[in-house]
Amino acid sequence: MDIPKEPNFSLLSSQDFAPEKYVRDISQNYVGGLELQNIKKKIQALADETSNNLKKNVYQNYVQFIETAKEISHLESEMYQLSHLLSEQKGLLTALSTSSILEDNRAHFDVRNEKLDEQELEEENKQKLATILDKVENCKEVVEAPDRFLLFEGDLLEIDATENTAIKFVHVYLFNDSLMLTNRNSNSRGLMRYAFESLYELSSLAVVNVRDLGNIKHAFKLLIFPDTRVFQCSSNASKKEWLDKIDQAKKTRLVQEQQKRESSLEKISPARSISVDLSINSQPEEIFTHPDWFLDIPDELDVCIAQRQFEDAVNHINKSKTYINKHPEHVGAIQKKIDQKQNTLVEMLMKELEVNPEKSLQGGLRATRTAVRLLNQLGRSTQSCDLFLKLCSSMLKIQCKRVKREGSTSTYVRHLSSVVFTNMCHMSEEFLRAFPDSCANCASAYVVWASGELSLFTTHFAKQVFMPQTSLSTITECVVLVRSQCERLCTYGVDFRYQLDGALRAPLSKALNDARDKFVDSIKLRAIDEKWIPVNLNTRSGLARCLQEYAVLGLKLDTYVTGDVWLQLTSSNLAFTKSFLILLDDCLKLKTTELLHSIDETLTKCFEAQLRYNEQGLKNEDQKQFILKNFEFLLVVLVQLTQTKYKEATGYECDNLNKLVNDYLSLLKARSTKTKYSSEFL
Amino acid sequence: MAKKTTVQPALHKVIMVGSGGVGKSALTLQFMYDEFVEDYEPTKADSYRKKILLDGEEVQIDILDTAGQEDYAAIRDNYFRSGEGFLCIFSITEDESFQATQEFREQILRVKNDDQIPFLLVGNKCDLEEKRKVTLQEAQDRANKWGVPYVETSAKTREHVDKVFYDLMREIRARKKEENKTSNGRGKDKNKKKKLKCIIL
Ligand SMILES: Nc1nc2c(ncn2[C@@H]2O[C@H](COP(=O)(O)OP(=O)(O)OP(=O)(O)O)[C@@H](O)[C@H]2O)c(=O)[nH]1
Ligand SMILES: [Mg+2]
Repeated sequence: MDIPKEPNFSLLSSQDFAPEKYVRDISQNYVGGLELQNIKKKIQALADETSNNLKKNVYQNYVQFIETAKEISHLESEMYQLSHLLSEQKGLLTALSTSSILEDNRAHFDVRNEKLDEQELEEENKQKLATILDKVENCKEVVEAPDRFLLFEGDLLEIDATENTAIKFVHVYLFNDSLMLTNRNSNSRGLMRYAFESLYELSSLAVVNVRDLGNIKHAFKLLIFPDTRVFQCSSNASKKEWLDKIDQAKKTRLVQEQQKRESSLEKISPARSISVDLSINSQPEEIFTHPDWFLDIPDELDVCIAQRQFEDAVNHINKSKTYINKHPEHVGAIQKKIDQKQNTLVEMLMKELEVNPEKSLQGGLRATRTAVRLLNQLGRSTQSCDLFLKLCSSMLKIQCKRVKREGSTSTYVRHLSSVVFTNMCHMSEEFLRAFPDSCANCASAYVVWASGELSLFTTHFAKQVFMPQTSLSTITECVVLVRSQCERLCTYGVDFRYQLDGALRAPLSKALNDARDKFVDSIKLRAIDEKWIPVNLNTRSGLARCLQEYAVLGLKLDTYVTGDVWLQLTSSNLAFTKSFLILLDDCLKLKTTELLHSIDETLTKCFEAQLRYNEQGLKNEDQKQFILKNFEFLLVVLVQLTQTKYKEATGYECDNLNKLVNDYLSLLKARSTKTKYSSEFL
Repeated sequence: MAKKTTVQPALHKVIMVGSGGVGKSALTLQFMYDEFVEDYEPTKADSYRKKILLDGEEVQIDILDTAGQEDYAAIRDNYFRSGEGFLCIFSITEDESFQATQEFREQILRVKNDDQIPFLLVGNKCDLEEKRKVTLQEAQDRANKWGVPYVETSAKTREHVDKVFYDLMREIRARKKEENKTSNGRGKDKNKKKKLKCIIL
């Protein structure tokens, strides 16, 4: 007959395990209760382990679920941000395209044709082409072709003309003689944002305004035999602009080519052929002309803003300002336009910094650097500082909300204060970096902000920590923690410890009073069981342990030992000593000049309560000698230790306590002369 | 966004050609939206698309309405290349526009390099009978000479508007079928199919 195996996981979880049979086998094979009991224990242990594992698994799954949920919500917020950005972008593009079609362009075009300074024109053109070269991969040959210059550029969405579906985004450059299509460059994240796709001669392509293509709006077609490509613009205005620009370019090109043909016959200089008819009505007297780049600045700004290249925009503005300073004449109209664009830019930048529930703050403060710096460069440091700090506040709030109120109070406070002050340090760092030679305004705004955040924190802290059930030790631990955290801010030149202490003074005095009351109560409680006999520690090792315990607290009790297990102190005095030393430690840790009074009072009152209680023991004539020894311990040994510690922390001894001790010493002296008992310490 | 799986019906590309102001846009808009536009606004190049039932079969028509004005003449080639069939319009009230059709015809044949290209000669504004300058006979003669149908229309009264578009699409469709056959099978019988006869009163 086969003996049933010891119970284990593999056996119990095997496919053909039959519980009844197993139990039957066991009861047949094991004789006697003990053996069965053993088996039962083993099975029980297995059961416990299994249920533990199960719990662990459930917990782990739960944790994973929570993590996943968090991730999802992060993603969600990011999607929101993205859609927000897109809609912003769209709005901006529409606004820009309408405005530039209605006003800027016409005036601009006329002005441009009056321009004679060819060298400057060429310079500017070179610059533009150079930026294209930087942005577009594989376009070297296109850009370096002689006599080519850029007229217009923009983003378009290519549509599949037969399926009516979007294919891809393209960035299109219109040159005087051709049209270049570039794709979004997905593999390089750097400067090369686009990759060259194709170049079409203007003369080989035809533009068609798409009036009706089902649900596709704002589209136009390019017929490039044998292909037809359809592009969608962001708005009707933008489409109109594209159609006009291409049309104009084509016409100009056509005229140019015809002129060239004619000139080769008639030998007329073709150089200014385009402007011939347009400049007829220009006044004969000298007209002041600005360089092209300057006249183009409003347009450039539009482009930069639309493409969110704020940095370039600010550069343009600065450049134009230097120019305006040098040539203050005839700049009125353009200056006004530039100012307008600058305002738009400032608005955009400020929007970047605004606190928005839809915007995720994942990027952190780092993400604000550019916007803040640019606003500062534009002379808007007050606003940027304001927005920056508001953003900090909201980030701090979010961070704090993430700290869960779980575990002990001190764990929570440790976590929370670390989050608050680490963030504040980080924000200070970021602030100093963003506003380095900050005007007095910014610096003071920062101090006000930090102080405000600190009050918010202390209010919350007080609510969490100062509760009747919280022990003084816990309170002390928390306060010490926060103080040390607060000290970190000193590195950034702001010391808020005074403010912190000030805010905590009232609740701390109250906590000290409460602790004192509780302490006195516990003395009274211990008095009920007092038998006025030495403590019996039962065993030698018990005694040794006790001595060791007090030695750690700073007291040598060896002189109070009698026999193997006795201590010549009452159990209540022994207990008092320990709690008093703990109280003393807490008090000294909490010590501030303002709190010293409360601390002195607490310590003295507690000590006094114990002395008074011992005094009652003296009524018991048999124990007088023993009790006097206890007095000696309290008044000499304990007080000495207390004063040493006190002095270490404050620099002087506690007067109140000394006074109390002296009072008692003289009282006892008086008594001992009345009676014949005396003690050597008196 | 529409799903990729939707198979779009066959697409026929029609181009409206003819001098400025003869009513190319008017005909297009009448066909597309059943409306007549009184104002004259010169066109550059507009395109329209519409789904229609052609003899029970759903097809798409893509209309490219081109510019009649002379200053666009130089860039016409690019447009004409994309056409599968042409409506060559003149106004029966303007002889000059009728004379211009000759030039359009030649340009199309040159660009498409195909004398069988689906093509209709269209005399528009036939509601203005009292101002007629081009007789039915001379228009019909020219169409016969080219081997194409001649139809008179009015964008204003909608007379024969659908007809010219549908007739042209039938020709394009037939032409495509024939091309498919010849590219699949073999032997090309170019002259087998005679053009539709003109039907006009
Ligand atoms: N009475 C009448 N007027 C017409 C008819 N068709 C067009 N018109 C008018 O003729 C003028 C020009 O018509 P459009 O359709 O714009 O001419 P178009 O051929 O498109 O001209 P372009 O775009 O310049 O090439 C408009 O004022 C129309 O109202 C028609 O059948 N009858
Ligand atoms: Mg038209």
